[in-house]
Amino acid sequence: MSLSQIETDATGVDATAVPTAPQPGMVGRSPGRLAWARLRANRTAMVSAWIMVFFIVLGMAAPLVELVYGISPFEQFQDKIANNSLPLGYFGGVSGEHWFGLEPQLGRDIFIRLVYGLRTSLFIATSAALLTTALGIVLGIVSGYLGGWIDAVISWVIDFALALPFLIFALAIMPTVTARFYGPRDEIPVPFRIGVMIFLFALFGWTGTARLVRGQVISLREREFVEAARASGAGLFHILFRQLLPNLWAPILVSFSLAVPGYITGEAALSFLGIGVVDPTPDFGVMINKSLSYAQTDPAYLIFPGVAIFLLVLAFNLFGDGLRDALDPKSSR
Amino acid sequence: MRSRAILAAGGVLALTVALGACSENKNTDSDVDTDRVASGAIATDPKDSMGPAKAVEGAAKGGTFTVIRQTKISHMDPQRVYSFVGLNTAPLYARFLTTWKDDGKGNVTLVGDLAETPGVNVNKDCKVWEFKIKDGVKFEDGTAITSKEVAYGIARSFDPDLSGGPTYIQEWLANDAAFDTKWDFKANKTSLPPGLTTPDAKTLRFEFAKAHCDLPFAASLPATAPLPPAKDTGVELDNKPFSSGPYKLVKNTVGVEMLFERNEHWDANTDPVRNAYPDKFVYKFGPNAEAQTNRLIADGAEDQATLGWNGVDSSLVAKVAGDAALMGRTLREPTPSAWRLSINTQRVADLSVRQALNYAIDRPGMVKAAGGDLKVAALTTLMPPSTLGFKKFDAYPADIEKAKSTLAGKTPELVLVIGDDSGAQELGTQVKNNLEKAGFKITIKVIPADSKLDETKKKNNPWDLYLDSWAADWPSGAALLPVLFDGRTIKAEGNSNTSYINNDAINAEFDRVLALDPAAQAPEWAKLDERIMKELAPAVPLYADVMFVMQGSKVGGVYIDSIFGYPAFTRAFVKQ
Repeated sequence: MSLSQIETDATGVDATAVPTAPQPGMVGRSPGRLAWARLRANRTAMVSAWIMVFFIVLGMAAPLVELVYGISPFEQFQDKIANNSLPLGYFGGVSGEHWFGLEPQLGRDIFIRLVYGLRTSLFIATSAALLTTALGIVLGIVSGYLGGWIDAVISWVIDFALALPFLIFALAIMPTVTARFYGPRDEIPVPFRIGVMIFLFALFGWTGTARLVRGQVISLREREFVEAARASGAGLFHILFRQLLPNLWAPILVSFSLAVPGYITGEAALSFLGIGVVDPTPDFGVMINKSLSYAQTDPAYLIFPGVAIFLLVLAFNLFGDGLRDALDPKSSR
Repeated sequence: MRSRAILAAGGVLALTVALGACSENKNTDSDVDTDRVASGAIATDPKDSMGPAKAVEGAAKGGTFTVIRQTKISHMDPQRVYSFVGLNTAPLYARFLTTWKDDGKGNVTLVGDLAETPGVNVNKDCKVWEFKIKDGVKFEDGTAITSKEVAYGIARSFDPDLSGGPTYIQEWLANDAAFDTKWDFKANKTSLPPGLTTPDAKTLRFEFAKAHCDLPFAASLPATAPLPPAKDTGVELDNKPFSSGPYKLVKNTVGVEMLFERNEHWDANTDPVRNAYPDKFVYKFGPNAEAQTNRLIADGAEDQATLGWNGVDSSLVAKVAGDAALMGRTLREPTPSAWRLSINTQRVADLSVRQALNYAIDRPGMVKAAGGDLKVAALTTLMPPSTLGFKKFDAYPADIEKAKSTLAGKTPELVLVIGDDSGAQELGTQVKNNLEKAGFKITIKVIPADSKLDETKKKNNPWDLYLDSWAADWPSGAALLPVLFDGRTIKAEGNSNTSYINNDAINAEFDRVLALDPAAQAPEWAKLDERIMKELAPAVPLYADVMFVMQGSKVGGVYIDSIFGYPAFTRAFVKQ
């Protein structure tokens, strides 16, 4: 298409454009590369990134970890549970075989349940973040560029969604939806529960991104390159997603990276309240809920999942902060 | 620098917590006497029913005894008392027709309280019963208690406005479950219900259309407390009952505090069970089990003569159990509250499947999943050990291989329904994993906990297995086996027979044993228990609850009563 050729020429300042004639002795760098360099120089962000990668790999490789570790998340070791229902031995039954000890009562291995819980948690959080971001982008960009009554309607829906109390809505909708789809003798399948959770997050979570994108688009839509594209007869889809979107990636990336830890805690909160993932599916929220009553007698049961979710969320948040600093060095903290 | 100092402080704190928790958890059996043998008798000699109650060793008069409890007592009006806390508080301010002499270890004797003996079976057919009221029994204003006031107390329990109490005697007198339609209390306040008469001031006579050999037991519930018609304040009596016992309620701030002081007209010589050592009893409402336990562990000056009604909080059980000094201040006894895995026999009609379920269950694992041996004690019989005549047997000794061979290659797909409350899910997971080892395929269905009971009590409920509990109102098999397994009582909703078992031979056996003299019934119920398990296997007995309560260092004489399994205060005293 000849159109894209015109576009690149017209927008010399485009982030994706490659300088044609670098001066000798100076290395020309694109804004993307500059951001990357700034991110590399940020030690906190890099450490967080490594922790994040570690957690993601661990979560994705959960079945592999199970194979190596040799214990399934549902296996019960009740012979290692004392008559008082607490694990035998020191610090919640920590041993060479059970690295993080055992759950009181049922005697399941905490380490492998944490690994699988990580997978559940990360899957829900990333899916929810991806879905909300995609929804937010589309609605924000359409509403910001088109304006008029479409903008009014979308903005009104955003205000409406923001006014609904999420937790109360979730508490009400979870049992209703499950009762609607499954009979009295059917177990609610785990994927369905997870699906409903992601749907709930998406329903309420897209508004932030949409507002952000809408604001950015309003500030960009009168710029020369958009005018030029319009003048060249570019279609709406082309203007929205080929012209405007590439200029919005920075704020979107930041909002995405900060949404993930938000959904990790959100998912844990729903499961803590008993409306998200339920036992026996391994999950952080369920584990922390169960372990609370053992804070005085078996603190290990609380410490391991507590520290794990703390580290996970902290790493995601610090990395998100670092990413924002790198992409937008002018913004003050 | 500041952030490093905070970091270091945090690290030290975390380390202390971790090290503090780093004591080894060893396997020790709790000393809850789960194999204790209950014995029961009905005292026919009037001397057994006379006071004073046997003195408690080391007890002294005086002091204020405090009970703390999370929520208020739902009813104080003796005719409406039916909660466990109410049943064990009522003896302080009310006397009944009969009552239990109880050593707190399962050995009970039914004696007369207001009555001289626990009832006379006039024609030996359990249809006509007579009670003679003792001399010298008085209300808090000094007036004598006669059969008229006892009869009035029973009559007012027909009032639908005064609901909440037990309904045995009303139903038996009216010979109808809808007793308030048979006799209207409000329209007949000066007369008595059909079948209830007072031939003279000392005699109370019951005449039933059908044999009710359990009347002496039913008469031990607070609903037989006396009340003079002039003192009947209707629903107001809930806030200020009129005392016939050793204490009277002098101050009642509803939901906050209740203060009992001595009733000087109570005569210890007429009372076979109440020692009434403390000068005052105080009930304080509000703190939850965790707060109660923490206060009692601290044993502060104002909590030393205190008992925490709601028991040792489950989060603190291991802490208390690990400390001999704290353990010395606890009471721990098995209760009559028995749990079973009910099998819906309408859906699981195959006896071999029900037997395989019984073989498959792993009770030590269930006890661990239910919170350990200070919470529950394993049970292999339908009747808990506290039942009179109890005989221990295990019709299906746990054996996974035996379960598999009983199934003979079948893989029954069963649905286990559990509530969504905490604790239920562990039990559900435990049962599922346990049974699947024997070849069952178990689906766990979670439903709202508050509707679970009502739903499983519906005859045509769609589930196969559910956890049920039952605590009988008196320790006789008659208050348990026919209630839970008589198929002729099955109705559309509100069934206690949640196994929906209906077997003619067993039903006939119920009728035969129920017609026997109460004393002769006890061994027969134990035999019938075993027969039901062997022939029908309508449920899997799991465990009985264990009562584990803590008290202050100056409390003495409190025991866990053998009837309901809750702390009883008739012998309580404050160490001086």
